Amino acid sequence: MLTTEEKKALIFLLTLFFCGLILGNLAKSSQEIKKFTRPCVELTKLNLNRVSLEELDSLKCIPKKLSLEIINYRNARQKGFESIEELKEIKGIGPKRYQRLKELFFLE
Amino acid sequence: MKNFLAIVTSVYCLGILSCRHIQFNFWIAALFGIILTALAALFKKNELIFLCFLLSASFLAGYLSLHNSLILPKRDIANFHQIKKAGETILDGFMASALEEKGGAFEFILSVRQVQSGNLSWSSCGKVLVRMDFWLPLTYGKNLKIAGVLNQNPGFKGGYNDFLKRQGIYLSMQIKDRRQITLVPGQGGNKLISFCLGLRAKLESVISRYLDEISAGMLNAMVLGERKQISRLVNDYMVKSGTVHILVVSGFNVGIVAFVCNLIFKFMRIRRKLRIILAIICLFVYCLVTGASNPVIRATVMGIIFLFSYFLKKEPDIGASLTAAALLILVIRPGELFDIGFQLSFASVLSIAFLYPQLSRYLGLEKCKPRALKFIFSGCLVSLCAWAGTLFIIAFNFHIVTPIAVLANILVVPLATLITLSGFAMLIAGLCLPFLAQVFSFPVSALIKLLLSVNSAVLKIPFAYFYI
Repeated sequence: MLTTEEKKALIFLLTLFFCGLILGNLAKSSQEIKKFTRPCVELTKLNLNRVSLEELDSLKCIPKKLSLEIINYRNARQKGFESIEELKEIKGIGPKRYQRLKELFFLE
Repeated sequence: MKNFLAIVTSVYCLGILSCRHIQFNFWIAALFGIILTALAALFKKNELIFLCFLLSASFLAGYLSLHNSLILPKRDIANFHQIKKAGETILDGFMASALEEKGGAFEFILSVRQVQSGNLSWSSCGKVLVRMDFWLPLTYGKNLKIAGVLNQNPGFKGGYNDFLKRQGIYLSMQIKDRRQITLVPGQGGNKLISFCLGLRAKLESVISRYLDEISAGMLNAMVLGERKQISRLVNDYMVKSGTVHILVVSGFNVGIVAFVCNLIFKFMRIRRKLRIILAIICLFVYCLVTGASNPVIRATVMGIIFLFSYFLKKEPDIGASLTAAALLILVIRPGELFDIGFQLSFASVLSIAFLYPQLSRYLGLEKCKPRALKFIFSGCLVSLCAWAGTLFIIAFNFHIVTPIAVLANILVVPLATLITLSGFAMLIAGLCLPFLAQVFSFPVSALIKLLLSVNSAVLKIPFAYFYI
């Protein structure tokens, strides 16, 4: 029914298939979560013109003093923040911190 | 050898089926599989013992392949969600599919790279179905950051959810606000798929530019396998008349692509062997353009085997190529055995390939004269065989029996052939010579309207269809 070469080929393919399945299974089980990181940016973006002092205080990446500065800056202006870039004008927010903070807020 | 391949494939399918009902430990089953293969190698001189060991090993191979496909990597997003019901989550990844409209919403699959929940972030993998209430200009491969609540797809009992499970998608995320999505610079995904989806979008724009909504929807489905524009009414009519298969890209379309490519390359005076290789490449691209669904993969594999046999100047074998196509799909995605599209596609071709020659011989169709009559009878017989082959699958899954399908197919299939041919001509012209595409669009539109009229006319015949 089958020639010797065909039998050899079938056995080779089947062995290869089993090896593939075993290696695939091993690869899947070895794909574990290796490390957790703590990103500075929280999950949801906050409305910069509505965020409360408490909410800002609860964020780990903003020091308490800076939260107060942000709220004071907003209250001092009639329309509040008009663009996220205005954060740069607040004392204590340099280019590096601004890069992190701009991911955190949005404006309506 | 070809019969043996069919036996091995059948036993492999039994192995897949058994995985749904029997639970073995993966490692014990794998060990048994290797032992059986080794025993087959040892007893290869004894035909019967070799066969027993090899078939048993094939059975276990089928069992293990489905078992393995259901195991998720430990860092898969679905595993995380089962352990911890997270609230708001940020997913970082790329679009693994094109944006599609479904029921008024827009959907795409996100391939996840990074997950952030609370103030923890970790690298992950897996796929998530993203549903948006609004449209955004997003294409395959775009890097995205999405914030929202992950939901487990409910139930997984049949239908769309079952389909998603087979694709490895267990979670979905609803997006209601544009601010939940942030575009990240860079591109992910496969460049070839990206190119094929771009080509598909271009072809879709050609179709919608020259045809009205109904005709464009029909041609999109018949040529590009895109059924989103088909109205529910038209779809229902086609299901009731048993002609809905024309709205799916299948072997027929693949055959046309192979034929047209071969013709063009011949016209360009390219040598025979190179012509066949180029035609195989074109078939592969067409398969990706049409979304690589089961009927397309089946037809593409069969087409490639046929072309390859021409390359080697050998007679192609339908049975062997069909078996090879089934085995290839089931090795890559064993869960497809439970897909109705897969079952219908193979059942119809199998019954045409094996039932038709038997019936034709029994009825003496070879001696039938004149030739026109023979052609009509052959058409009836092919339609009857395909209907008989898929009758039980359709009745079991859709609870409908369509006796009119035999007559409807005899009338509709030739029209569909003409539509597909002229549709391809219109598409090629649309890309190269737009003024010609305008001219080609008129007969395409007229033929589609004729097809719909014929289809609704046959449904008026008493007992055309009934529900069970």
